[in-house]
Amino acid sequence: MSAYFPTMGLEIHAELLTNSKVFCTCSAEFGGEPNSRCCPVCSGLPGTLPVLNRRAVEYIIKAGYVMNCDISRFTKWDRKNYFYPDLPKAYQISQMPRPVCLDGHVDIKVNGEDKVIRINRIHLEEDAGKLVHDDVNRISLADYNRCGIPLIEIVTEPDFHSADEVIAFFEKIKLLLQYAGICDCKMEQGSIRCDVNISIAPKGSNELGTRTELKNLNSLKAIAKAIEIEIDRQEELLDNGEKVIQQTRRFNEAAGETVAMRSKEDAHDYRYFPDPDIPPIIFTEEELDDIRASLPEMPEQRVARYVEKYGVNVKDADTIVGDKRVCDFFDEAAQDSSNPKAVANYLVGEFMRRVNLGELDLDNIKFSGKQFAQLVEYLYGDKLSQANAKVVLGEMAENGGDPKAIADEKDLWIKEDNDLLAEVVDEIIANNPKPVEQYKNGDQKVFGFFMGQANKALKGAASPKAIQDYIRKKLSE
Amino acid sequence: MELKTIQHLCELSKLNYEDEALEKVMSEMTDIIELMDTIKSFDLTYDDTKDNNSIKFCETREDVAKPSFPTEKLLSNAENTDNCYVVPKVVE
Amino acid sequence: MDLTRAKIRDLRKALDTKEIGAAELCGEYFKKIEASDDKLLSYITVTKDKAMEMAADAQKKIDAGEASMLTGIPIAIKDNICTDGVKTTCSSKMLENFVPPYDATVIENLKNEGYVLLGKTSMDEFAMGGSNQTSAFAKTKNPYDLERVPGGSSGGSAAAVSASLAPCALGSDTGGSIRQPASFCGVTGIKPTYGRVSRYGLVAFASSLDQIGPICNDAHDCAIMLNAICSQDAHDATSARVDIPDFTAKLGQSVKGMKIAMPKEFYSDDIDDEVKSSVVAAAKTLEAQGAQLIDCSIPGLKYAIPAYYLIACAEAASNLSRFDGIKYGYRGEGRTFEDLIRDSRSKGFGEEVKRRILLGNYALSSGYYDAYYKKALALKQEIIKEYNEVFDIADVILTPTAPSVAYKIGAQDNDPVKMYLADICTVTVNIAGLPGINTTCGYTGEGMPIGMSVIGKRFDEQTILQCADAFEQTFAPTAPKL
Repeated sequence: MSAYFPTMGLEIHAELLTNSKVFCTCSAEFGGEPNSRCCPVCSGLPGTLPVLNRRAVEYIIKAGYVMNCDISRFTKWDRKNYFYPDLPKAYQISQMPRPVCLDGHVDIKVNGEDKVIRINRIHLEEDAGKLVHDDVNRISLADYNRCGIPLIEIVTEPDFHSADEVIAFFEKIKLLLQYAGICDCKMEQGSIRCDVNISIAPKGSNELGTRTELKNLNSLKAIAKAIEIEIDRQEELLDNGEKVIQQTRRFNEAAGETVAMRSKEDAHDYRYFPDPDIPPIIFTEEELDDIRASLPEMPEQRVARYVEKYGVNVKDADTIVGDKRVCDFFDEAAQDSSNPKAVANYLVGEFMRRVNLGELDLDNIKFSGKQFAQLVEYLYGDKLSQANAKVVLGEMAENGGDPKAIADEKDLWIKEDNDLLAEVVDEIIANNPKPVEQYKNGDQKVFGFFMGQANKALKGAASPKAIQDYIRKKLSE
Repeated sequence: MELKTIQHLCELSKLNYEDEALEKVMSEMTDIIELMDTIKSFDLTYDDTKDNNSIKFCETREDVAKPSFPTEKLLSNAENTDNCYVVPKVVE
Repeated sequence: MDLTRAKIRDLRKALDTKEIGAAELCGEYFKKIEASDDKLLSYITVTKDKAMEMAADAQKKIDAGEASMLTGIPIAIKDNICTDGVKTTCSSKMLENFVPPYDATVIENLKNEGYVLLGKTSMDEFAMGGSNQTSAFAKTKNPYDLERVPGGSSGGSAAAVSASLAPCALGSDTGGSIRQPASFCGVTGIKPTYGRVSRYGLVAFASSLDQIGPICNDAHDCAIMLNAICSQDAHDATSARVDIPDFTAKLGQSVKGMKIAMPKEFYSDDIDDEVKSSVVAAAKTLEAQGAQLIDCSIPGLKYAIPAYYLIACAEAASNLSRFDGIKYGYRGEGRTFEDLIRDSRSKGFGEEVKRRILLGNYALSSGYYDAYYKKALALKQEIIKEYNEVFDIADVILTPTAPSVAYKIGAQDNDPVKMYLADICTVTVNIAGLPGINTTCGYTGEGMPIGMSVIGKRFDEQTILQCADAFEQTFAPTAPKL
C-alpha cells in the first residue's frame, strides 16, 4: 500500500457544435484542406476584429445548466497573451474574472458508489490551430482551420482521488454534452480533451502537494495510464527526498512516461486583460429561462422514462442511454413500436452484439428505427424465428432495407406448416430414444435439446410456440 | 528600473536589445515609469460592472457560416508551402 | 482649376457640371504630388494606375447621372487603413511589403460612393507618436515650415490636405492623432464618437481608443466625409447601435444660446500663451455670436497622461504581438520559432513602438496589473464621469488642441516623456470616447497655425460640426506656400 494519496482536478476542453466559428463566419466543421476554413479574422490579419457567435454563448449556458452552475448575468472576454505558432493573434480570446458559468456540480457513480464532483467554472474561448512537424527540414507547417472553433473549458475542483473517479466523471461529462447537443465528444478528433492536475500528499495530511499538469491525453486509456504513471513518478520523487516541481507534462503514450514541457516561469505570465474588441454581455432572466427550457431530455430523464413508461429494466436503460447514438435510435424505434420493451431487449442484445463486433456502425446505421421496430414485431409475433430474425438484421446492417422485403426475398417467414412440423418432430423423437427416456424420467432440461433439433431442421417453417406445443404433446404421449 | 525587470519585459515582448541599447531603453523606461507612477496617487478602485459598454445577448452575431476566404490570398504575405504557413521548428 | 484648398463641394460641382473630368481631376492632384511631395513627404504610396481606373468608373457614374457626394472625389488614406491589393505599411519596416487581401469597412463605404484613391499617407509608426518622425519611411514635414513637424500620427494626411495634395483624407485618432496634426497643419479634422465609424480594417493601436475620421479643409467637408464613412458594421462588435444622422444637418445654424464650457485645466501654464490667447479670442468670437461661455473643471486631467499611456500601451502590446514574421510582415532570421520572432520584432519595429510594447507589458504583467492597468481603468471611469458632469451644464467644450504649435523637427527627439506630455489636450477625449473636432483659430507671429478643439457629447457630432463651422464662417485661413 502506498503511503500517499493523490488529489486531482480536471480541465476539460470541448468544442461546440456551432455552424460558424466563435468570432468569425468561417465553418466550424472538423478538418478540411489546410487553411481552407479561414478568413482574415481567424488567421489574425492586421485590422480584423472578432464578433461573438450567439449560439456559442447559448451552448455554454446550456453546459452550465446541465452541470448545475450559476450563470453570470454579466460576462466578458479577456485576452490570454502568449506566443505560439498555432495562435495567429498571439493571444487567445478567453474569459478570466467573469466566466459565463460558476460553481456547479456533477453527480457520478464510481464502483457502485455515488460521488459529487464540484465544478469551479466553465468559460468560453477559441481553439488554436494545428502544427504539422517536418523534422527533416526542421520546420512546422501551420494550419489555422481549427483557429476560432468555439471551446468551453470546464474546470473542476480538486475532488478526484483515483483514476476511476476521473474516468467516470469524464464519461459523464461526455454524455451530458452529447445529450445537450453542444459537443460531439469525439476524443479521436480532439473535439473533447482532458488535462489532469495531479498532486500527491502523505496519507492523513490536510495539505495538497505540489501539482503537475498532464496534457496530451487522447483517450480514456491514456488518461488512466498517465495518471498511474504520474502518481508513481511523484511518489518516487518524494520517497527519494526530492521535490515535485510545478510544471506541465506531456504524456508520451508509446514510451509510457510523462515529460516536462515548459519550465520557463515567464511563459506563465499570460497578462490577461479585458478584450477591448468584444463588449461584455448582459443576459436577461427571460433569455436564460428560454435557453434552459430549450435543453433536450438529459440521460437521467431518459432512463426514468424508459423504466417508467416502457417497463425497461434499469440496467438495459443505462446501457441504451450510455451511447447517445444508440439512445436516439431506440427512441426512434420505440416510437413506432407497440412493444418498446421488446425493442429494448433486442436492441441491448442482438443489436449491441453486432455493434461490438463491428458489424454495425453507429455513425452509419443503414436502417431506420421504424424498420428495426418492425423486425422486433415480427420476431415477437412469431412471424420470424430467432435465427431468421438474425439473418434479416444481418442483411439490414450490411445493405439496409426493409425487413419485410428481406424476409420475403429470402423466404424466411414462419409458415406454420403443421404437416412438416409433425413429420420432423416425430422423426427426431424416434431417432433419440435416450433423451426421450430422460424427459419421461423428469429431466426437463432435455426439452431444450428437442427444441434445438426441431428449430434447426424446420428452418422457421413453424413458430417456436407451435414447435414447443407439439413436442410437449408428443413427449407426454 | 532594474536590469532583471527590463529583461523580463523583453522576454514578454519578444524583443532583443544589444547591451548598449538595453542600457538606453532601461533609462528611458525608468523615466516613463516615473511619469506613469503619478497615477498611483489617484485613489479610486475599478468596478468593471460600471463600464457601460456592454451589449445585450440578442445583439451578438447570429450563427451563420459563410464561405471562407481563398487560401492563396490569405497566404499571399507569408512564406508558405502546401497551403500552410512555414514556421521554424518550435523548441519546447 | 485652382485646387488650392479646394473643398469637396467645389469639386463636386466642377465634376457634375463637367468643368473637369474625374480622371483629369485626380491627374491634377498627382501633378501637385509629383511637384512637391519630395519635399513634404506626406505620401508613402501613390496609386496612380489604380486611381485612373477608379476615376474612369466614377466618370461613368457621373455621366449616367448616378453620382453621389464623393463620386470621383480624390481621397488620401492613412497608411494604417487596409486597402485590398494596395500596400499598407503603418510606416513600419515590419509591414514594408504588406499588401492586405481585404478592404477596411470605411474603404468599402468609400468605394460604394465611387471615390478615387490618391494614395496612402505617412504616419508615425503604428500611429505611435505626434510628429510623424517615428515613420520608418516618409518623415513628413509641415507645409507651413519644412523644418517643423506636421504633427501626428496622421501627419501625412494632415500635411497632404494642408498643402492641397489631396482635397480630403482619412486619418485615425487614438489620443489626438487626427486633431493634433490637423491643428499643426492648419486644417479641420474630426475624431468621431467611439463606435461611430467601424474600426474593421484599421490596423489596431489601442482598440478601446482608436477611431477613424476625416481630415478636410473645413467642418462642412468633414460632415460630408462622415456621412460617407459611418456605418453600423457587423464586422465590428464595438460599432455603435445608434442611428446615423445627416452630419450636415446643423451646419449654418447659429450658435446663439449654445453653452460652451472651458475647463480651467486646459488653460493652465502648460499651454503656450500664444495658443491660449488665440483659443480664448475664438471663444469670444463665438460668444459674440450669442454663445454662452461657461467655466468648469475636469480635475482628472491631472492623471490623463499616465491613464492614457497605460491603457493604450497595454492594448498595443497585445495588438502588436501578432507581428511575428510568420503570417505577414518582416521575417527575420532564426532556426527556431523563438529566434525568428525575436529577430523579426527586434528589427521590424522602431524604437518608439518597442518602448510602448515594453510599457504595455509592464502595465499588464503579474504584480503590476492592479497598480497600473486597473488604476488606469478606474481613471477612465472617473474621466467619463467628470465629462458627463460638464455636459450636464454645457453643449460643447472648447480647448486648445495642443499645448504648442508645430515644433522644430528634432526638438523632442530622445525624450519620450516630453513627447507623451504634449498629448495632454487630446487624450481624455479618446479615454471618454467623445467626438472632438479641430479647426484653425489663428496663426502665430511666425505664421504657424493654431488649432482649437470642440468636444461634444457622445454621438453628438452634429453640434461640434455646427460650432466649428460657425467659427470657420468668421475666419479666413491662409494656405501654406510650398
